[in-house]
Amino acid sequence: MDLDFHPQHIVELYMDDATAIELQNLTKRFDEVVAVDNFNVKIQKGEFFSLLGPSGCGKTTTLRVVAGLEGPSKGTVLLEGKDVTGVPAYKRNVNTVFQDYALFPHMNVKKNVYFPLKMRKISLNQAEPKIERVLRLVNMEGFGKRLPQQLSGGQRQRIALARSLVNEPAALLLDEPLGALDFKLRVAMQKVLKDIQRNVGITFVYVTHDQTEAMTMSDRIAVMKDGHVHQIASPDEIYNDPETAFVASFIGDMNFLHGIIKSGSEKSAKADISGNIINTRKLKQGIKTGEEALLCIRVERVEVNPLEGKLDNVVACTLGRIVFRGTDYEATCRFDDSEIRAVVSATAWDHGLKEGDTIKIGFKTDDVIVFPKSEEKDVIKYSVEAV
Amino acid sequence: MELKKSRFDPPRSYIRGTPIILWLLFLVVVPLIFTFAMSFYSSEGLVLEKTFTLKNYKVFFTDPVYARILFKSLRLALGTSMLSIAMAYPLAYMVSFKMVRGRNLLFMMCIIPLWVSYLVRIIAWRSILGNRGVINSLLLAIGIIQEPLRIFLYNRFAIAVTLTYICIPFVFIPVYTSLEKIPRNILNAASDLGASEFTSFINVVLPLSLPGLITGFIFSFIIALGDYIIPLQLGGTQGIMFGNLIWSQFGVAFNWPFGAALGFVLFIISVTILGLTAKFGSTEGGFLSE
Repeated sequence: MDLDFHPQHIVELYMDDATAIELQNLTKRFDEVVAVDNFNVKIQKGEFFSLLGPSGCGKTTTLRVVAGLEGPSKGTVLLEGKDVTGVPAYKRNVNTVFQDYALFPHMNVKKNVYFPLKMRKISLNQAEPKIERVLRLVNMEGFGKRLPQQLSGGQRQRIALARSLVNEPAALLLDEPLGALDFKLRVAMQKVLKDIQRNVGITFVYVTHDQTEAMTMSDRIAVMKDGHVHQIASPDEIYNDPETAFVASFIGDMNFLHGIIKSGSEKSAKADISGNIINTRKLKQGIKTGEEALLCIRVERVEVNPLEGKLDNVVACTLGRIVFRGTDYEATCRFDDSEIRAVVSATAWDHGLKEGDTIKIGFKTDDVIVFPKSEEKDVIKYSVEAV
Repeated sequence: MELKKSRFDPPRSYIRGTPIILWLLFLVVVPLIFTFAMSFYSSEGLVLEKTFTLKNYKVFFTDPVYARILFKSLRLALGTSMLSIAMAYPLAYMVSFKMVRGRNLLFMMCIIPLWVSYLVRIIAWRSILGNRGVINSLLLAIGIIQEPLRIFLYNRFAIAVTLTYICIPFVFIPVYTSLEKIPRNILNAASDLGASEFTSFINVVLPLSLPGLITGFIFSFIIALGDYIIPLQLGGTQGIMFGNLIWSQFGVAFNWPFGAALGFVLFIISVTILGLTAKFGSTEGGFLSE
């Protein structure tokens, strides 16, 4: 990778935490449908910011509003501190990488990359070094004469990226750029994208429905559903401290159980799951003692037959289905009418266990997160793995 | 995998292609050969002299009146095609890009004239341009003129206007089709990368619709070049075009060999123009056939 592509941006990344993009009360309606509802965020310069959510959650609409391809129904868009709400797309200093690349089919690679510079009235001679540098950045030097249809999907994607980067925009908007690629190529391109973003230091706003993609690449993620922003936080926080049951269910693999809240304190709480008293994290606001609530435990935080006295919560249960998944085993454990899945790494798995065995499972107080029962409707039942 | 590509297709594909080969043979190739052969005969009164002669071509190339009429026709055909494009392209652009609802309805309205008889439409234009036609009546009613103007009908203006009208759907359809084929996100990308609607049109839309534009041009040019009914009906004294010349050799003068020679000259010119533009169109438009 070309490390000296935009040194000034790299410096900015560490020295200046000015805001690149700011959305204030952004709302977008299509007739009666609210696509984006009151979105507020400040995206830092040089940040890799992801919009994550299932299809139809409003992430692409948000991106199009930032790009200027759609006007907001309400609210303000600021680019580097300037209000650009009414400014058309072609006058905004942000560029978009579209999901299906949107390369100009009648222009070769070089002319495609030259296009944004041509729009700025830069002569081809002057633009030549820039074009070459950006093609080198995306590892596509020597492809200048090819037409888009002579390139593979990954190559087209990289040309689309080069074309968007060549103008050195204030921010790059990426609309599911890897959506059309197969799994292996997608993983490779994730790395390429992340490297490029680090090297050039341009702000990336990245739209995806793939949680792995968002988790591995982003500095911060906004998780959206039905136009609402559920949480804006770092991948770590999103995973370990989800704000809503939807976020908890959308990211990673989570057990959801029903329990009655027995007591709550500053530090922790107690809940009753089918007669077992479970210690949980402290209650979020709005959850009262005596009410039914939603208890969440990450599958990989559940231990099978833990050492005596190691964990605060231990439940006796019957071992159900065991599934070998290569790197780990997924065991379904039943007690009364509740069910907990435990994922244990293959190296730690006790091969003596079989279906129908009576076992103990345990988990920490801090691994049990409580959500109000009312949020159950938002729970995605089966975690969305990379499809 | 086929390693060696055979020079000839297997016999079965010939059998499948037989109907179209026969069709082309009897409706295109054979008549052309007849015309070509006919152009080397001569006509004495009403008798066809079937001996080889270059007389007909000699007359065409030596008497300047024929070349003059040919150039007049070419000029008219070129002007008509340009006018048709100038009218039909913006129309197609509007329908394809600007209309959100009712696009299909508008598309139908643009091609409905094709369902009406050719002659009826020509007569209709006569009553629009005529002495007591729509235009004159309107101008008289407003009071701009006191006497009906005679400048609208029976001249080259009338031919050009009516031919343009006839040709518009033939330009509109291929242009509209090629505009519809342009992926809309490409225009989003152009706008996103700094192109205003106009620059985006010049740099993206126009080159991508060029194949349709060329097809439309070929259609209208060929139609306008060969037409003899509109010049006859609306052209008055200026209404002698190359098509009329050919028609009169067959229908009036009964000099079929000379008519055939003129027809063959027109055919060669048409094929040359068609070949040139189609080649241009296919190299520029090849990218669309992905």
